[in-house]
Amino acid sequence: MTESAEPTTTYEQAREELADVVRRLEAGGLTLEESLALWERGEELAKLCQHWLDRARERLAAAAPGDDAGRE
Amino acid sequence: MTSPSTPEAPWPVRTVARKVAEWIGRLGEVWVEGQIAQLSRRGAATVFLTLRDPAADLSVPVTCSRDVADRPGLELTEGARVIVRARPDYYIARGSFSLRATEIRAVGLGELLARIERIRRLLAAEGLFDAARKRPLPFAPAVVGVVTGRDSAAERDVLVTARRRWPAIRFAVHHSLVQGPSAAASVIEGLQRLDRDPEVEVIVVARGGGSVEDLLPFSDEGLVRAIAACRTPVVTAVGHETDTTLVDHAVDVRAATPTDAAHRVVPEIGEQRRLVDGLRARARHLVGTRLEQQERWLESVRSRPVLADPQRLLHGRADDVEQLRTRARRTLVHRLEGAERDLEHARARVAALSPAATLERGYAVVQRADGSLVRDPAEVADGELLRVRVAGGRLPVRVDRAADPAPPTQEDA
Repeated sequence: MTESAEPTTTYEQAREELADVVRRLEAGGLTLEESLALWERGEELAKLCQHWLDRARERLAAAAPGDDAGRE
Repeated sequence: MTSPSTPEAPWPVRTVARKVAEWIGRLGEVWVEGQIAQLSRRGAATVFLTLRDPAADLSVPVTCSRDVADRPGLELTEGARVIVRARPDYYIARGSFSLRATEIRAVGLGELLARIERIRRLLAAEGLFDAARKRPLPFAPAVVGVVTGRDSAAERDVLVTARRRWPAIRFAVHHSLVQGPSAAASVIEGLQRLDRDPEVEVIVVARGGGSVEDLLPFSDEGLVRAIAACRTPVVTAVGHETDTTLVDHAVDVRAATPTDAAHRVVPEIGEQRRLVDGLRARARHLVGTRLEQQERWLESVRSRPVLADPQRLLHGRADDVEQLRTRARRTLVHRLEGAERDLEHARARVAALSPAATLERGYAVVQRADGSLVRDPAEVADGELLRVRVAGGRLPVRVDRAADPAPPTQEDA
């Protein structure tokens, strides 16, 4: 994933859309083209969610306890 | 009148008591000055005082009626100096001695304390001591103003204690006189200077213990008003815990001692750090839990067959195509076979209807030159050229009736 720019979709938006994509895929009744397009979108959204969660982990780890910067 | 007492003829107690009472009663009225060491109002009608000599270690009991003790404008407090108009009195029932006071006047310090009390009532009536005026102290002030005597124990107590609790604390110290006639003005000056300094977030006025007279400047009306006028919150630590001066009523917080003032003004850094650490750990735990929850959710969604195995999207479709293809092929084969059967039937029927079979049996078809069939001998002329078709092929013939002697029969029809 390129670090050049942060995605504009928030984690919550991506998650909601991903859940919707899965629901529609599971419901069936789509043309092949439609279901492939949906699956591709789902992959994209899952990557986006993963990206946000990974970033959150990194930030949490970056602020690890024990860094005694507050001492004056 | 009474005979002198002897071991053989002693006086009864009542005689002695009466004689003492008579003698004391003849002493008459005196004016006496002393300090009130104890004050008791437990009796309903009588007030008991202990009048002490400030210069010698002795005292006398004084009694007076409530009217005398509660005269308007008189403030009887322990430690107050008073002038008492009294008559020495011997209480015959108990054999106790006291001065029976008929008038009490405040004097010296007593008078001063009474004046302070009058000021206190005045300022209280103005609302200067109201609880609603008390402001909260800043949580962790960057700069603490201190008004105190130069090199005093009070100053050291405030600074040392505050620095120990919060090493980064800064002070703006104003040294002032803390006793004597100029002390009040000096403290007011320091207070106003620190109040004008925008960096100073709280002001401590500290002074160690002392006599009632020593602490008098801290009951100065001007100083009390100056404190009430301060925009910066003010904390006092004047004298010992038991001494109350008027400034104590007007300030936002009254501390018991200079050390206590430092405690009130400056938070303890270790305690704050533990507090922050605790909150930090809780926040981290909450965020971490939330994150794990989301990660599990994402994992579960990603492992759903529709996302985890996109081949499945094709699987069903390929089967469908194969099935349809098989069905199409089967249908076509079916059709083809039907058509072939139809063709066979048609061919058989054509064969059945064809004249070739008839010709095969020996019949012949006769046609005129224009192709029309000959059905009646009368249709053809003698000598006419006809064509005869038999199973084997065509044969041109010429009509010659003369060559045939037999008359035409009907059997051919």
